[in-house]
Amino acid sequence: MPQFFSNKRLIILLASIIVLVAMIGFSMKDREELSWPEQFLKDTVGVSQSLFYKPANSIAGFFENLTEMKHMYQENKQLKSKLDEYAQLSVDVQELKKENKTLKSQLEKEADLTEYKVKEASVIGRSPDRWNKFIFVNKGYRDGVKPKMAVVSPEGFIGKVAKVSAFHSTIQLISDNDRTNRISAIAESNKRIFGMIEGYDSKKQALLFKKIPVDAKLEKGQKVITSGLGEVFPRGLLIGTVKEVKPDEYGLTKTAYLKPSADLYDLDHVMILDRSMPQVDENEFKAKEEE
Amino acid sequence: MNRILLPFITYIAFVAESTIMQVLAPEHYNWGFQLIPHFSLVLIILISCYLKPSYGIVYGMVFGLLTDLIYTDLIGVYMFSTALVAYFISVLSRYLFSNFFVAILLSAAGAAGLEFMVYGLNSLIGIADTNIDSFFYDRLLPTLILNAVFTILVYYPFAKLLKKVRKAIHEN
Repeated sequence: MPQFFSNKRLIILLASIIVLVAMIGFSMKDREELSWPEQFLKDTVGVSQSLFYKPANSIAGFFENLTEMKHMYQENKQLKSKLDEYAQLSVDVQELKKENKTLKSQLEKEADLTEYKVKEASVIGRSPDRWNKFIFVNKGYRDGVKPKMAVVSPEGFIGKVAKVSAFHSTIQLISDNDRTNRISAIAESNKRIFGMIEGYDSKKQALLFKKIPVDAKLEKGQKVITSGLGEVFPRGLLIGTVKEVKPDEYGLTKTAYLKPSADLYDLDHVMILDRSMPQVDENEFKAKEEE
Repeated sequence: MNRILLPFITYIAFVAESTIMQVLAPEHYNWGFQLIPHFSLVLIILISCYLKPSYGIVYGMVFGLLTDLIYTDLIGVYMFSTALVAYFISVLSRYLFSNFFVAILLSAAGAAGLEFMVYGLNSLIGIADTNIDSFFYDRLLPTLILNAVFTILVYYPFAKLLKKVRKAIHEN
C-alpha cells in the first residue's frame, strides 16, 4: 500500500476541508453583486468562450441543416397552410393592441405588468456539469442587464439573470434545482389557477408546478404563463404546457408536471426583458414603516 | 516557452468543456444520458504524472477554482476535489508501470473520482437530486467513455510535450 499522506500532509488535508466548508458556506449566501476579481475572470473567460462557441455552433448548424433538408417539402406544405391563419391573426392582434392602447389612455394607466423592453443577447457557453444549469451570454451591466431580469427564447420563458459582470452575464435556467429558483405562475383557463414553478424532474424532463389548490381543475395541454407578481418578471411569458397532474405527498395541494415550451438545450439567441413597471423599493418601504 | 504552453493548453481544454462540447451535447438529440467533459482534469492528471504531484495540486486548485467561479454557483467544491484527485492519481502513478493503457486507466479513474466527489458534495447541499442508479448508468459510464476517448486522442502529442518540459526542468 503506497503511503499517500505523511502526518504533515494529513494536517494540511484536514485544514483544507475546513476551508472548503467555510468557502461553501460563504458562497451559499445570497450574493447579488460579484466582486471585481470574479467579474474580471468572467469577462476574460467570456471572451475566449465566444471565440470558441460561435464557430463550433455554425459547423454543427451546417450539419443539422443537411439533415433537415430531407423534410423540407413536407414542412413547406404545412407552413403554407398555416400562413393563411397567421395573416388573419396578425390583423386581429393589431386591432386588439390599438384598442388596448386607447382604453389604457382613457384610464390614464401608464405602466403595466405585461410591458417590457427587450435586449438581445447571444449564448456563448453552457455550464458543463449538469448539476448547475447555467448558460452564459454576451451582454453585461454595460448594456443595462441587471440581476433577476427575465430571459426568454422565441419559444418561451427560459430563466432569469443570475450574475452580471461588465460585458457578460450568467443565466440560471428554470430547470436549475437551486432552492431559490422559484417562479410565480398562472394556469390560464376560465378561472386563474396560481402556483409556483419549483424545480425540475430530470427523469421526466418536466418542470414541477407546485402549490396548486386541490379543487383547481387543471387539464392536460393547458398552458402555464408567468404571473408577473413577485419579482421582476413581466406577466404573460409562456412557460410550458401541463403533462400530468398529481396530488402532492400530503394531499393538501396538487403538483403538475409541465413540458417546457422552449427547448432548454437548443439555445442560440435569447432576449433579456426589462420590465417597465417599477419595482417596489424595499428600503423606502421599510423607512415608511418605521415612521 | 514550453512551460508557458502547459497552462495555455489546459485553459483551452477548460474553455472547450463549456463551448465545443456543449454544441455537441447528447441532449440535442434527446438521448437519455449525459456526457460530462473533464478535459482539463485529464490534462492535469497527465501533467502531474509526468512531472511532480505538486504540479497536480497547483493546477488542480487553479483550474478547479476557475470551474467553481465560472461554471457553478458554489466556490470550493471543484477546487478541493480536482486538487485531491490529481494528487492521488499522481502518487498512484509512481507505483504503476507508465504506458499508454495505464494512462487511460488513470485518467478514467480520476474522472470517476471527481464525479463521485462532486456528486457527494452536491447531494449533501441539495443541488443534485438524482439517485445513485441513474447517476451511475446515465451519467458516470458515458462520461468515463468520453474522457477515455479524449485521453487516447491527446496522449501522444501531450506526452511528447511533457517529456520536453521535464528535460528543461532537470537541466535548470
